[in-house]
Amino acid sequence: MRSETGDLLQGTLSILILKALLGGAAHGYGIARWVEATTDDVLRIEEGSLYPALRRLEDNGWVSSEWGLSENNRRARFYTITRAGRAHLRAEASVWFRYAGAVTQVLRSSPSLA
Amino acid sequence: MSVEPGGKPPAWRRYLRFWGSDVDADVADELQFHLDMRARDYEARGLPATDARQAATERFGDVHGIGGVLRAHDRRREHRRQRIEYMSDLTNDVRYGLRAFTRAPAFTIVALLTIALGIGATTAIFSVVNAVILRPLPYHESDRLVQVWMDNRRTGLKEDLHSWPNYADLRDQNRVLSNMAAYVTGGYNITAGCRENECEPRRIGALFSTHDLFDVLHVTPAMGRGFTAQETVPGSDGVVLISHGLWTGLLGSDRNILGRAVRLNGRERTVIGVLPPNFAFPNRDTDVWVPLAMDEDLKQSRGSFGLWSVARLKPGVEFPRAVSDLTTIATRLEQQYRDSNRDFGVHLVPLPEQVVGRTLRTSLWVMLAAVAAVLLIDCANVANLMLSRAAVREREISVRVALGAARTRLIRQLLTESVLLSVMGAVLGVGLAWIGLRVLTGLAPEDIPRLDQVAIDLRVLAVTLGLALFTGLAFGLVPALQSSRAAVGSALREGIRGGTQGRRAQRLRRTLVAAQIALVVVLLTGAGLLIRSFMHLQRMDLGFQPDNLLTMKLSLPGAKYATPESRFGFFDSLIERTRQQPGVQSVGMIGNIFLSATPTSTTFTVEGREMTPEERNIEVPIDAVSPDYFRTMGIPLREGRTFTATDNLTAPPVVIINENMARHIWPNESAVGKRFKYGRQDSDAPLMTVVGVVADMRRTGFDSPVRYETFRPHTQRAVGFLTLVVRTAGDPLQLVPAVRAQIKAIDAEQPVFEVASMDQLLGSMVAQRRFSMALLGTFAGLALVLGVVGVYGVTSYLVAQRTREVGVRLALGAQPGQVVGMVVRQGMVVAAAGLVVGLLGAVAATRLMTGLLYGVSPHDVWTLAAVTVVIGLATLAANWVPALRAAHVDPLTALRSE
Repeated sequence: MRSETGDLLQGTLSILILKALLGGAAHGYGIARWVEATTDDVLRIEEGSLYPALRRLEDNGWVSSEWGLSENNRRARFYTITRAGRAHLRAEASVWFRYAGAVTQVLRSSPSLA
Repeated sequence: MSVEPGGKPPAWRRYLRFWGSDVDADVADELQFHLDMRARDYEARGLPATDARQAATERFGDVHGIGGVLRAHDRRREHRRQRIEYMSDLTNDVRYGLRAFTRAPAFTIVALLTIALGIGATTAIFSVVNAVILRPLPYHESDRLVQVWMDNRRTGLKEDLHSWPNYADLRDQNRVLSNMAAYVTGGYNITAGCRENECEPRRIGALFSTHDLFDVLHVTPAMGRGFTAQETVPGSDGVVLISHGLWTGLLGSDRNILGRAVRLNGRERTVIGVLPPNFAFPNRDTDVWVPLAMDEDLKQSRGSFGLWSVARLKPGVEFPRAVSDLTTIATRLEQQYRDSNRDFGVHLVPLPEQVVGRTLRTSLWVMLAAVAAVLLIDCANVANLMLSRAAVREREISVRVALGAARTRLIRQLLTESVLLSVMGAVLGVGLAWIGLRVLTGLAPEDIPRLDQVAIDLRVLAVTLGLALFTGLAFGLVPALQSSRAAVGSALREGIRGGTQGRRAQRLRRTLVAAQIALVVVLLTGAGLLIRSFMHLQRMDLGFQPDNLLTMKLSLPGAKYATPESRFGFFDSLIERTRQQPGVQSVGMIGNIFLSATPTSTTFTVEGREMTPEERNIEVPIDAVSPDYFRTMGIPLREGRTFTATDNLTAPPVVIINENMARHIWPNESAVGKRFKYGRQDSDAPLMTVVGVVADMRRTGFDSPVRYETFRPHTQRAVGFLTLVVRTAGDPLQLVPAVRAQIKAIDAEQPVFEVASMDQLLGSMVAQRRFSMALLGTFAGLALVLGVVGVYGVTSYLVAQRTREVGVRLALGAQPGQVVGMVVRQGMVVAAAGLVVGLLGAVAATRLMTGLLYGVSPHDVWTLAAVTVVIGLATLAANWVPALRAAHVDPLTALRSE
């Protein structure tokens, strides 16, 4: 809600999580931290919605989870992207690129805003 | 949720995970971890610890809300996972069980057949109980229907008939019945289906009823309409409703039957309706329903009894209230009309109970109990089989335990196997039941109502499935617990040495055997009592000679044979022509009643002395017989003479009574020459002279007492309904065509019915008893065989287990006889225990059979003694054979065998 770009769409959150997991298994906090670091805190993950989103992804078979030990030796739930999850991410990414490309094209067309 | 920042979940939570994942704790842990990490990062940036936690929680948002969402989600997922796991375990267990069965085909076949037999027999008997007792009658809310009887305390007959005024008063004054119909049953000679002037006259059952009968029953005709009140007025009653069977049969399914006329007893009646196919009131033999058009003076006569009555309870009225309301009215009528109604009450019976009598109900429930006992014996046998098999499988099970199978998991798998076995047995059993029902309904006596509706329907199948699950658990649970315990306890050590089930298992087997024997004892006792009752009946002196007697009934239509003279003419030529047939020794006829349960009766008054109050209330049946009747039946004349042709309408009225009446009414003197009249003191019936006394005869059936009897000469009492009795030299049924031909020669339109030999008649009277006896006898025999097999199997098994011990004993010098003695003694102790429990159980259980017994106490010592002997011998033999085998093993082989 305090995000500078307004509310993140649910689908976008899924993309961010899956992308985060491409680097390897991670717990929820790790995912949140990765998104913050990668976007220089521009996209701040709405933390409350992170976990329900993870459950949805798990139900869809895009991520799997298991309990393990964290870097500071605490019991934590680790999420891993599945093969289906990678395929889904690719498909979503290409949709996103086309969409973003189209919007960019519109914004760049004359009369230019800038 | 215990997500206090930094807080730890209570330690016991962790143990929950032992049984599976603990959803709540996991969610709490995951969120707590997140908050702790965030707080740690804030601290690293320099915030004080408390502020850091505060900030972390704020940043997260609604911790409780999200935790709730996650918990709900995870619980759902956990349930789904467990279900899937359970199903896949089940599939595995089933597959595993099937494989185990194919590895032990002999065990599987024996077990399957045993189960199929037990479940099949139970299913068959339950289908009969279901069709005859449980399924409602084919009337709307048939449980609200009641048969209303007059309770005749003078004769002790609880189910006596009403007079019209009594019926009308009960109908009009009650506040508990929505309506109440009266009816009379009868028969008609029907002339229909004639082809080219050649008609086969037939006798059909008829019911004469008030117009509201169909309203009471809530039945609407399939075609046409019911009666109107107007049609019960004499003269306007020329209408008839016909049964579906009559319509499709004799009347050829004529679509335009409505409005057509049928000839009944020579009178034309217009068909106004056809009833639905399943309509059978009061029984299946009824084919026509006619308005009850009673004369006005009969409607005024409170002392003329002859009406049946059926009624429907008002909505919300319970049975006891209906009884008390009608009883109140009956008591009022008793006081109001002392002469006609003294000692008359009412007696109500729910219609379903009326249709299927108490005796039949009892015997069906007894059969069901018996067959259930057979099933239990069956279960014990299969349980023993399973125990033996478990011993064989001990190694296999031990390996599974060693590989990490939990005990609960093992029990579940073993139970799955036994239920699988019982379900497969049940499928076979339903097939057996189907075959069994064909046989059963073919052998069953015809007078069991609704037997034609016996079928394996959904309710039966549901019960069978229940039985299968029950039996599977019953014979599987104990062996499963047993072998899983043994497996977990002894694991591989003992298993490898070849399996020795402990004392526990032995005790278990012996208990099962004792229980089996107890059940067999109960069944044998029940069957024995029925057999003894039946033998009593067979030996009973009926008072006449039933062999070589042909009987048939005729009903002369009143329209055609209106005068006494015309009826006498018919009787005379009938008797004369029949007598002349070759093979006929003598011919007699008797009027109204013969082997009938409800004879027409009346009070009587003796001339010349005061009657005691008891005597005044005695009712005697009135009957008319031909001179040769007693000789034909073989009923000895004790005193005086029989009737002659001169005892006619112009001669003084005469009567013959039976010994029983003579002895009680004229004790210590001869009854011959005494006079009495029917009715009370003021009756204007003529005084009749007793001219003869005949021997007593049980005319109302085997199991009823000898009553008083009065017989009039048929030439003084011109009846229209008669039974012809012919004594023949050879097989009575051979004469049927000849006698029929003579009747046709006298009157081509006159049907005869219920043509049967006396042996057949008597046979049908005891048919239900014979059937119950045969069925229970079969079950008891089956139980005995199963029980003996059980004893034999267990003793054999236990002896085989002790081969080495026996070998040692023999090697140490024991005589084979001692070994036999030891084994038999141990077996017989078990048998004796079962016998004692069984006898106690039998004494308790057979009390329920009292209504089925005749001349035998439920605690009949002879039966119990016979059962004891049978059980003793059977179990002795079943123990002896394995004992002998054990005693004759070669000691060396026995010792080497393990």
